[in-house]
Amino acid sequence: MIPTQYYLLLSAAVFCIGVFGVLTRRNALVFLMSVELILNAANINLVAFSLQYGNLSGQVFSLFTMALAAAEVAVGLGIVLVLYRNFSDVDVTEATTMRW
Amino acid sequence: MSAFDFAPAIALLPFVSFLVALFGGQYLPKKGAFAGIAATAGSLILSAWVAVTVAGGETYNEALYTFTAGLDTFSLHLGILIDPLTALMLLIVSFIALLVHVFSLGYMNDEGETGLPRYYAGLGLFTASMLGFVFADNILMAFMFFELVGLCSYLLIGFNFREEGPPSAAKKAFLVTRFGDYFFLIGVVGIFVTFGTGVFAGEHSFAVMAEHAINGEVAEPIQQTLDALGVGVQTWFTILGLLVLGGVMGKSAQFPLHTWLPDAMEGPTPVSALIHAATMVAAGVYLVARMYGFYVLTPTTMAIIALVGGFTALFAATMGVVKQELKQVLAYSTISQYGYMMLALGSGGYIAAVFHLTTHAVFKALLFLGAGAVIIAMHHEENMWEMGGLKDKMPVTYWSFLAGSLALAGIVPFAGFWSKDEVLYEALIHGFGTEGGLGTVFLVAYAMGLLAVFFTGFYTFRMVYLTFHGEPRTETARKPHGVRWNVKGPLAVLGILATTIGFINLTPVKKLLGPEIDFLHKWLAGEEGSGWEALATGYHHYEGLLHDGPAHVLVGEPLGADGTLIASAAVSLGLAVAGVLAARSLYKVPEPVEHTNKLGSIKTLLMHNYYQDEYQVWLATGFTYPISRAADKFDQGVVDGVVNGISSVSLFSGSRIRKIQTGVVSNYAFFITVALVVLLVVFGIQGGWF
Repeated sequence: MIPTQYYLLLSAAVFCIGVFGVLTRRNALVFLMSVELILNAANINLVAFSLQYGNLSGQVFSLFTMALAAAEVAVGLGIVLVLYRNFSDVDVTEATTMRW
Repeated sequence: MSAFDFAPAIALLPFVSFLVALFGGQYLPKKGAFAGIAATAGSLILSAWVAVTVAGGETYNEALYTFTAGLDTFSLHLGILIDPLTALMLLIVSFIALLVHVFSLGYMNDEGETGLPRYYAGLGLFTASMLGFVFADNILMAFMFFELVGLCSYLLIGFNFREEGPPSAAKKAFLVTRFGDYFFLIGVVGIFVTFGTGVFAGEHSFAVMAEHAINGEVAEPIQQTLDALGVGVQTWFTILGLLVLGGVMGKSAQFPLHTWLPDAMEGPTPVSALIHAATMVAAGVYLVARMYGFYVLTPTTMAIIALVGGFTALFAATMGVVKQELKQVLAYSTISQYGYMMLALGSGGYIAAVFHLTTHAVFKALLFLGAGAVIIAMHHEENMWEMGGLKDKMPVTYWSFLAGSLALAGIVPFAGFWSKDEVLYEALIHGFGTEGGLGTVFLVAYAMGLLAVFFTGFYTFRMVYLTFHGEPRTETARKPHGVRWNVKGPLAVLGILATTIGFINLTPVKKLLGPEIDFLHKWLAGEEGSGWEALATGYHHYEGLLHDGPAHVLVGEPLGADGTLIASAAVSLGLAVAGVLAARSLYKVPEPVEHTNKLGSIKTLLMHNYYQDEYQVWLATGFTYPISRAADKFDQGVVDGVVNGISSVSLFSGSRIRKIQTGVVSNYAFFITVALVVLLVVFGIQGGWF
């Protein structure tokens, strides 16, 4: 059986990739994908600990997270669409009109 | 069913007439006058019923409505106190108000004035406020109605607001009396803080508590107040008394706050009658009489009241000598007469003061209504030099006016003689009897009051001769306008009363001859063993305090009992007659001339009212205005500066810090990440992970 630490390392790596994507990319679609990665890193954590302790709550929780992620993608894509309509682009650094 | 159950209605009826005239006056015949007449007649009947009940030995002192109930402290309430003093004053006020309403039919309606609903509404509210003030059972309620009276005087003096004079006079009356009321308000607060109550009568009244404190049984709360202030009982009560006296001096037009009253002549003449005889000006003197049990405890206050009263009596009388307008003469006579009442109150002549208040209400209302009749006849000309010879053309007015003038001048047997003589007599015997400075003060005040008698006789009859005698000096005076029953009726009633009302208190006759005919004295003293004694507002109570209290006001009769009485009456009557004769010799000629011109610079001084207005205006513009400018500078500069400074710091820092809000999502994500990392590191170090 693979030790839990490996799962955690994988999760941390996926999380870092997601965060890196959020911090460096300007494309809103890549943003969404990166957020998915972050969410899935959390899912890996939940499932790994569920296995570790033999408690199914974590797996159930990760199912909820997936549903949530689906909803989030729906909303996120809607935002991306509106962004494109207003700025003719999906570059997040362009949409700065709602600051001071 | 007792009369006292209906007591609130005495004030409520005129209040209802105020509402009726205000909202329905336009649609009523005579524009609301009948509502006012009905209401004041109702008040008069109820007052009479109350007076009859009081004569039966009953009194009434109840809290009716508590509008602020205090937890572990005092409560504020409205209530009614009815003792013989209240009953007497209720009768006077409602009676004069009724006659003024009737007279207004002739003076306002028949003369085609506009805005009458406003006028009758004002009269109604004025009467209602004064009646409410009279039966107030605590000093806060008295203060509230006192202010309402001031408001109504403002509304009525400024009735002809489209002209230039009345609004200005109204503002002056309002501001000058308000200046006095400012001190009154502080005094009310001081009384509530010290005694925890503002009730006038009964065992728990502030006057009785003050009496115990003066006698050495200082209650715990009073001692705490005194300790906090670091003053003695006597000093503190003197300060409280003087603070309340501020309001009295404003309302009763005592020097130096008398300047509003002559200007208040800008109001319609019936209003002047109401203000001077029964309502506004009487309120001040009545307040002193109401809390007399408190004032007699402090000799300093007594001395000040007597001195201010005596001085005002003389001071105002001298100004009346040179005035050219009928109502101006009457205005100064009012100030002077209220000075006599204050003199009496200050020198321990409580009954004399109330007596003079009563007779003065009658004859001053008469004189003002008479002046109103003359003004109607003269087509609203008020200068006496434009009149003359009106005697034969308006006999009812002349004879009643003459009765009022004889009463004002103090000629026996008219009302004013008896009351003024008693005022001076009380001041004299108390002046001789009381030891130390207080007695001297009484004598000085007496001397001033006595001197004023001469001037009173003079200016009164100068006015009578100039107005009614001699040859008519103008075309209007030759063909005066007629007056109707609604003018003559009140004049006739008051004329008879001015002749006879002095007989309610013939104390000198009683003392000399023995018959028990000093009815007012008995009325205000109350019967032995009646329920009234518990209220501690009767004359017996005050008499005891005068004799045995700190003031030690005693009676001294240098010429023996009868001799002093006769000498005092003879001197005051002699001076009054001398004044009348002087006026007669100068002005009872077909073509009188302005003899006052011979006074030279004194006349200028008197015509300018001793430059009282000038110095008060100077005080306002030269002293108060710079101070308020400086205060404004402080407010605008320092107070606002601090507030603006603080907000400008926020504004500045905000305008700089907002730059971090770039609007770029990546930057926010960066901040979140950095913050998360920093948080992790901090937790790590705190938690010892490394």
